[in-house]
Amino acid sequence: MAIDHTKCDITGMVERHIMIAVDSSDNSRRAVLFVGDFFGCYEGFRVTLLHVILEPEATYFRTGDERQQWLAAQLEEAGRVMEEYRHILVDAGFTEERITVRIEPMQAPSVADCIIREQEEMKCCTIVIGRRGISKKEEFIFGSTSSRIIHEAKKCAVLVIE
Amino acid sequence: MSPFFLSGRVWIGSGGPVQACIVLGAELCYKNIMEKQAKAGTEPAYSFRELQEMIAAYLGPDNVPGRFKVITDTTDFFRVDYNDVVLLENVPYLMRNYTREGRFGLDDEPKYWVRKAIDLKKSKPMIIKLVFHEEIDARVGGMVFKCVRSPRKEAAILELAAGHKNFMQGRAVADKAGNIVRVLDFIQGKRLDELVHRQAASHEQYFYEQLPGYLAVYAEMTEAIQFLHDHGQKHGDIRRDHILQDRNTGDYRWIDFDYDYHHPASMFGYDLFGLGNILIFLVGGGDITVQRLQADEPALLEKITPADMNIIFRNRVANIQKVYPYVPDALNYVLLHFSNGANLYYENTRQLLMDLADVRIKR
Repeated sequence: MAIDHTKCDITGMVERHIMIAVDSSDNSRRAVLFVGDFFGCYEGFRVTLLHVILEPEATYFRTGDERQQWLAAQLEEAGRVMEEYRHILVDAGFTEERITVRIEPMQAPSVADCIIREQEEMKCCTIVIGRRGISKKEEFIFGSTSSRIIHEAKKCAVLVIE
Repeated sequence: MSPFFLSGRVWIGSGGPVQACIVLGAELCYKNIMEKQAKAGTEPAYSFRELQEMIAAYLGPDNVPGRFKVITDTTDFFRVDYNDVVLLENVPYLMRNYTREGRFGLDDEPKYWVRKAIDLKKSKPMIIKLVFHEEIDARVGGMVFKCVRSPRKEAAILELAAGHKNFMQGRAVADKAGNIVRVLDFIQGKRLDELVHRQAASHEQYFYEQLPGYLAVYAEMTEAIQFLHDHGQKHGDIRRDHILQDRNTGDYRWIDFDYDYHHPASMFGYDLFGLGNILIFLVGGGDITVQRLQADEPALLEKITPADMNIIFRNRVANIQKVYPYVPDALNYVLLHFSNGANLYYENTRQLLMDLADVRIKR
């Protein structure tokens, strides 16, 4: 019997769809390089590059203009790195139609909440994320995005790239 | 409502749709304040003589200042002097002294933008918080992150927590220049840390006789913070001197919620950190520091390891059971979440409250 490489039977997801959750850090770049290296030469994989821009509450800014400037700067920076990440995947063998680039401004208690929700909606079988290597103190006060995803993501595999 | 805030932004969290409304609510709150200000601007103001009569009614005729400014634009708060009258939405407030910082290390530092005042219409003492856009690089445990003072955040929480017994009460009004001034009820009463400090003859007596009551207060105050978090807000500056006991009602109230910070990994983590510090303080009946143990009980110090210390404040003991063995396991388990040896941290107030519910203090 022929194997359908577009489906992932282990996680029960409908297709082999990898979400790479990124920002503009070096660890995110490493996560993209990893996916390119490991999956770029195989057919049947689809990749979504997701860049969540976690917006502060409206009251964090003095004015609406200040908020819009902040958001515009974030979107510009995200657009720049996402183009670079897309090129990495194309160079590694992914065809253009198998790559989706999403830059999403969101409001939530944490980036991890956003990533988990997007995974549930898109039904990706794998989340790939770079680890920032934060200090114990920072993890204590603000938590670790990769740890939260490892513990809370359901029905998917999680790859954390050092 | 600005369409900017409706352009597909989503809020994800335990509160679901309610939180989305609150994010929009902050803007509605701001719009309402500005509309009220515009309306008030069309009403007739008081004459100098009328203001003098109102001041005389409160201070007595012999204490009416001969000269004072009537201020409608508070942008430069250093211009607002003692005995000046600030007119907000046509309510005249007689300015009195500025308040002082209660923070450790900054004790008695004047807060020129926070003034005692008299509402001359109601002859009632109030606190007036003028707009001070401060940006601070907060440094906690070697981390640096940007904090801002946000009058709009405080205004939004005042509206959200109106009538809630565990928050200071007041309202936000715009002055003529659009500054969001907060007019707050004056709370007569002491800070929590002043109440706790060394009331009993010994820690053991304090622990069995007073701590159960303080733990009940603590749980109530933590639930109040949960209320904020459920509505997409945070306190932003949780410290033990930011809880006052209202002498008139007996209620404990959170004060000063204009601080704001942004960290993508967790919106509420810094609040949880503050709650942990207060709990350690309450259980210890004060800070149990290395210096204090060295002076009072040097033998105990030998039992303390780096893992027992507060994860951020390395000179404070978090594993208090090692100092006072009668601290029950269930309570010490909560404390250990804030210790240097912890591998598991609280992510939200619900987790903290669930563990606290298991705590029983009995002789």
